[in-house]
Order: sequence, then C-alpha cells, then structure tokens
Amino acid sequence: MALEYIVIIFLIISIIISFGIGANDETMAPLYGSRILNIKQILILAAIFAIAGALLLGEGVAKSVGDKILLLDYEAAGINQNAVVMTILISTAIVLILSSALGLPISSTHATIGGIIGLGLLLGGGEGVNWSTILEMSIWWLASPIIGFTVTYGVVKLLNKHKIKFLKGFKDYERSENTYSYIVLIIICITAFSRAGNDCSNAVGIVIGVGDNINITLLLIMTGLGLASGVTVLGRIVIKNLGKMTELRPSTAFAVQVPTAAVMLIGTIQKIPLSGSHLLVASLVGLSKASNTPMKKGLWKIIAIWLLTFPVAAILSIILYFPIDLLI
Amino acid sequence: MKLLKEKKNELDEINKEFLAETLNGSALLHEALSTFINDKLKKESLEGIIKTEKKCDELKDKYTQVLFRDKRALPFLVEDRYNILMMIDSVNDKMEFFSRFLEVYPFKLYKEIKDDFKKLCSACSQAVEELVNCAILIETDFDAAYKKTFEIEERKREARTAKFILLGKLYKMKDDPIKVYLTSKLVTYIYEIVSWVEETSDYLRGLIIKYPSK
Repeated sequence: MALEYIVIIFLIISIIISFGIGANDETMAPLYGSRILNIKQILILAAIFAIAGALLLGEGVAKSVGDKILLLDYEAAGINQNAVVMTILISTAIVLILSSALGLPISSTHATIGGIIGLGLLLGGGEGVNWSTILEMSIWWLASPIIGFTVTYGVVKLLNKHKIKFLKGFKDYERSENTYSYIVLIIICITAFSRAGNDCSNAVGIVIGVGDNINITLLLIMTGLGLASGVTVLGRIVIKNLGKMTELRPSTAFAVQVPTAAVMLIGTIQKIPLSGSHLLVASLVGLSKASNTPMKKGLWKIIAIWLLTFPVAAILSIILYFPIDLLI
Repeated sequence: MKLLKEKKNELDEINKEFLAETLNGSALLHEALSTFINDKLKKESLEGIIKTEKKCDELKDKYTQVLFRDKRALPFLVEDRYNILMMIDSVNDKMEFFSRFLEVYPFKLYKEIKDDFKKLCSACSQAVEELVNCAILIETDFDAAYKKTFEIEERKREARTAKFILLGKLYKMKDDPIKVYLTSKLVTYIYEIVSWVEETSDYLRGLIIKYPSK
C-alpha cells in the first residue's frame, strides 16, 4: 500500500484512539461532584485543556511501555511491527470507548498492557511476554488503589480536624469552601493539561513512526480535537458517574484530588506505572469511609471492569491482529 | 469573588428579614393566646399573624430566586439553606393556620384548663423564638446552635406533657361534645407548631453534625 494511504489510515486511527482516551478521562469528575462548575462549563474547560495540552506538551512526551513487555524478534519471526502497534492501540481504543459508554473509568495503561499480552501470547507464545515485568507492574496495580485510599483517608481526617478547630459556622464554611473551590479548579486544570499532553503521545506516536513529512502541529491539533470530542461526547458519562459516587464538596474534592495528583507525580518521577483512574476511585472510597458518607451503587461494576480490562483487551487484540496485518 | 459577596450579602439581608418576621409572628401569636386565655381575644393579633405569614411567603420567594440565581455560587450550601428556609416557613404556615382556626373558634376557654393551656402556649412561643435564634447562630457558632437544639427539644417535651394533660382533662368533661372536640383541636394545633419547630431543630442539628464541627 502507498505510504500516503498508510499515513491517512494511521491518522484516522490516531484520532479514534485519542477519542477513546478522551472519552475515559475522569480528571474533571471532582469538579462535577463538588458542583464547583456545571457539566457544560466542565466540558468546555476539558476540551480547551485537551487541545492546549496536546498542542503544547504532546510532542515532548513519549511512552515505551510496550518495549518492556513484548519479547518479540520482529525481523527473525517476520512480524509486521506496525500491525502489532496498530492492533494494540485499536484494541485499547475500543476497550476505552466501550467502558466510557458504560460510564466506567478504567486504566488506559491496563487496556494497553492487556492488548500487548494478547499479542505477545499469539505471536511468541509464553515466551513472547516479559512476565517478570508484568509481575512487577501488577504489584503497583494492586498498590495504586491502596495508596489512593490510605492517603485520602488520612488527608480527610486531618482536614476534618482543621475544620472542627477553625470553622465555627456556615459563614466560615462558605469562606473556606470557596477558597478550596479555586484551588481544586487550578489543580484539576493543571492535571488535565499535563494528562492531555501525556495521552496525546499514545495516539500521535504511531503516525510519527510511519512518515517523515508529517505536519506535527496539525497532527497534534487533530489529536487534541480527538481528545476534546472524546471528553465531550462520552467523557461526560464517566465524569457524571464518578463525580456522583460519593458526596463531594470543594474541600473534600481537594482531599481527593491533591493526593491523587501528588501520588501520580511521584509515580511518574519514579517511573512507577500507577493508574490515575484507580487512584481516583480508591480516593473516593477513602473519602467515603473517612467522612462516613455512603458510596453510591456502582463501585462493584467499576472493580469488575478493572478485572475484565486485561482479558477483554487481550482477546480483542488477538481478533484484530489478522485483519490489520493483512491491511498494512 | 465579587459576585459571591454580593449574593451572600443579599441572602443575608433577606434571611434576617424573614427570621425577624417569623419572630414577629410568634410574638403576635403569644399576644393573641394571652388575650384568648383572659377571654378577651385580640383579633388584630390574629390578623397580624396572617399578614406576617404572607410577608414571609414573599421573602421566601425572593430568597429562593437569589439562592438559585447563579447556580455556581455557594453550591454546597444551596440545598441545605433552601431546606432550612422551607422548614421555618412551615412554622409560619402552621401559626397562620392556627390563627385562622382561633378566629372562628366560637367558645371561651374552659376555666379548668387555663393553667395548662398557658403552659402549652408558653412552650410554643419559646420554641419558635429559640428556633429563630438557632437559625441565626448556625451562621457563626455551631456549638451554641447545637446546644440550642436541645433546648428546643426540652420545649417540645414540656408541650407534649401539657398537651396530654389538657386532652386528659378535656376527654373527661361532660359538656357539649362540639366544644370539647374543637378545644381538643385547638390544643393539637398548638402542639403541632411546637412539634414542627422541634423537627426543624433536629434538621439543623443534623447539619451541624454533617459539616465537621463535632
């Protein structure tokens, strides 16, 4: 197939992938839950930061999680590397879009790794996958929710102590909550901005890999638009679902968002693959326990979809590999 | 920030006026009941209660308009504030209903029950007064408002005791059954005001506990 057509196909798929990633972006959920902004304002903000993050940060960020897990000798085995990358990304996008349509946040890293495992097993058998890396990562997958729960639980307890000491009435409360609402808004905007840049690299990487004469700026804008449309079309379901899981106020949204962002930052610096979605959901559970507010039904659905992410992504990548290999 | 401050000040002003009117209604009710016990019912006081309730309704509408005007500002207290206002407004409604009933009540109060009736009326006006104070205190002092809710509970207990003593005496009377029935209604309607005041104070107590303060 001519290179131009391949680039166009990759471009379309890249936009679909960015749509899928945007659709499962739950970053803005605390803003909705604490009613700092309404859903319309949230979606506008999410779209702006998705495009800005993709455009300004997308180019510099690169991910190579697949390299550590797949143990395939492409040349010796005659495997089409482009088809492998494409299959993993498409299966990830499908899993993300499906879970977003159900309003359930999942880890995009888990979906990607599920796809990688599926293809590794298909193309290299048991030796196609680096199981020790998977084992190392799985420790962190289990640790992510525990860390999120514990840190938020502690922060909420500390915050409540502070409130009992210093907030004496509704007026004090309003003043304090108002301040928190601005802090949460700023933190979430920064998170959305950096996350867009980070997510964008997943979608852009495949196109950059196939051609040299590509207008990167245009590509980043298109990917940013993909992320933005993902958030506005399907992401609203995830945001609403997660935002309403437990009772949130600006101060408690702060207690959820700040530890999540801090732990994610430490994880990124230490190169630990933590899941933002898992951290956020676990933080909401931690908040619910610390402040004795009930959790809405649906937590078990989220946990079930987390467990199903790997097998579904793996099976999907196995099914999709052959037609994609024929096409490319 | 400016928007929030303006809205807050506007809400404060309307709320103050609303609570002052409620207190005025309670004072008028006390006056009306005192004159009723002395067999010289002052109908102007009853008219005053009805006017007060109407004024409270207008203020309630105004408050609701301002509260929901800009949905973003103060979102975490909007529902709670709205509920407080609606519950206190129901106190006004009950006072107004009682006034209309007393206006058409065609008898004089039995001498045998006047003392207990006085106790019931006193518990009622005190409870309303304490509720208004509690609603003011919750803005600046959770601890004092919390204590106030227990005082209101005490008023309800007093009113309940008085109510059953009154009903006991009334049911033993061998008089015109219509007078006995209507007098028992009079007692029940006053008690309902106190009972609702206590329910409102329970809600306020719940809020104080809900927002970390205890």
